[in-house]
Amino acid sequence: MLRGIDLTVEPGTSLVLTGANGAGKTTLLRIIATLLKPSSGEGTVLGLSLADDGESIRAATGYVSARGFAYDDLTAAENLRFAARLVDRPVPDERIAEILVGVGLGDATDQTVRTFSTGMRRRLALAVLRLRPLRLALLDEPYAGLDADGVALVDRLVGELVAAGTTVILASHQSGEATRRATRALRIEQGRLVDAATPDGRAG
Amino acid sequence: MGRGASFIGWPGALALVVMAVGSFIGLFVVGADVEMGEVQRLMYVHVPAAWTAFVAFFAVFIGSVLYLVQRDERADRVAASAAEVGVVFISLTLATGMLWGKPTWGVWWTWDPRLTTTALLLAVFVGYLAVRGFADDPERRARWSAIVGILGFVQVPIVYLSVVWWRSIHQPPSSPRSVSSDILGTWMLNFAAFLLVFAWLTARRARAARLEAELETRMAYD
Amino acid sequence: MAMPGRVAAIVWKDLLIEVRTKASFHSMLAFSALVLFVFSFAIGPDTPLLRRIAAGLLWVAIVFTGLLSLSRTYQSEEAAGGLEGLRMAPGDPRFIYLGKLAGNLLLLLALEVVLFPAAAVLFQIEMLPHALPLAGIALLGTLGISTAGTFYAALTLHLRAREIMLPLLLIPALVPPLLGAVNATQLVLDGNPFGDAALWVRLLVAYDVVFFVVCTWLFPLAVED
Repeated sequence: MLRGIDLTVEPGTSLVLTGANGAGKTTLLRIIATLLKPSSGEGTVLGLSLADDGESIRAATGYVSARGFAYDDLTAAENLRFAARLVDRPVPDERIAEILVGVGLGDATDQTVRTFSTGMRRRLALAVLRLRPLRLALLDEPYAGLDADGVALVDRLVGELVAAGTTVILASHQSGEATRRATRALRIEQGRLVDAATPDGRAG
Repeated sequence: MGRGASFIGWPGALALVVMAVGSFIGLFVVGADVEMGEVQRLMYVHVPAAWTAFVAFFAVFIGSVLYLVQRDERADRVAASAAEVGVVFISLTLATGMLWGKPTWGVWWTWDPRLTTTALLLAVFVGYLAVRGFADDPERRARWSAIVGILGFVQVPIVYLSVVWWRSIHQPPSSPRSVSSDILGTWMLNFAAFLLVFAWLTARRARAARLEAELETRMAYD
Repeated sequence: MAMPGRVAAIVWKDLLIEVRTKASFHSMLAFSALVLFVFSFAIGPDTPLLRRIAAGLLWVAIVFTGLLSLSRTYQSEEAAGGLEGLRMAPGDPRFIYLGKLAGNLLLLLALEVVLFPAAAVLFQIEMLPHALPLAGIALLGTLGISTAGTFYAALTLHLRAREIMLPLLLIPALVPPLLGAVNATQLVLDGNPFGDAALWVRLLVAYDVVFFVVCTWLFPLAVED
């Protein structure tokens, strides 16, 4: 449903995508993550071709989908360890524990995800961003289902990533500090990207 | 439109003529079989239909490979059309085989390797068309069915080999009798007729599929 | 050498979930035993007859149980948020197929470790003297079933009516391994391990190699979006 998308994002900056439900925010993120092939057009991400260099793009990209990605019958630590092995980054158990404490799941390390609340699942999904250095981070509705602490966690994570030179793209219709501080804000309207005023009124 | 219609037209007319000639020769010119009598004339339909079914199957395979390599919707439409027409020919093969088997072997069905493989081939075709029926998105439909078309083609020789071996354990396979040249000639003539019919129907079906796709696109954007 | 690591990660993860929930294995075990029973009931308490067709009954039970477990191959991924969590891994997506294939193979082999002795008892067959050739045939036959099944399960994942589409596509494709495994098993049980059984073993090997190569090659096309 996206048409005539033309988007350039500077390295080490953050971009907020807004738009109504079903406008195509997730579709755009999935195209950038090389999960979805665009029916036409081409693009480069991190200087790499979307069509030909998917493997290299994924190697440097973290994608946190709106639904998250965790197995109900594994514990938080096991899920994180599996995520690390998937990206070829075996992480020592102490570091796993440290990351989980950092996202507020210190008490739930060895609980199966089945027992988690929505907010806890979000925190676990976000924890993946700290497993390895990233050049690009894609966050789909990162604030959804989070309490005030959780919202602050998202803002802190995005701040860290940008400070480390990671390009961050957030798709969110909720605003938080990270969206207000974003370098640029765009809205998807009828399949096209338009400049959007950031929620505090500053031009994007 | 007129140019396309006339191109579609002449192979159809040619197919009709060749088929009329082939049927006439098969029914009235060639002598009845010494051992099996008039029923053997069914073979002038059965054998060319089977060959045409295999050509259809090969066309599905080629169309599928072309689609996956080039992502050209035309290749997908040709493969899908060839599969639909192929089902007709393979059903004709099975039906005439059974009609011939009853007076000849005394049974409608026997676990002859070729008969069994033909039935499994029909199952693969049906699977291919079912995948198309149960996929919503045109791109996914084309991609998934192309994969089924390729795997189906790959598995046929192994299936045939396994069924031949399976039968040979229980009884020696019947060796085909040598075929006289006028029988072979009639087969080839009818094969040519069936191929023309196949090509004509597939082209028509592919054209209809293209029009359907255009209509879908137009309705989606208006 | 990232690929073997990711394949191992999937196998480890799926086995851990299986061990923790035991959802698949116990139901598979019960189901396959029931298939053997149903056949015996349908055919009658004629032990010599049952013994003569035991290999066929055994492999039909394995294929039917395999259909059930194969259709659940990607269930844990769907519950976790779809295949895209795995597809986000850098590198070639074929590791998903190889890992899932290994998992299905292990699960079915574990089932057969129980099912073969059960059939030996039910049909009063001497299996122990033929344990080694039987194990080889079971491995080759099950590899064929898992290779085709893991692939078609991925292909039918997003089809409507996939419960019927998986068997519709898979059963015709499983004719060679079924014929190969049944005939080889029967010949071995009849005390002919190095005669005609070798022919069927060759068929199984040929099928396994061809399907493994073609399915591995086509897999990325089956799961792309």
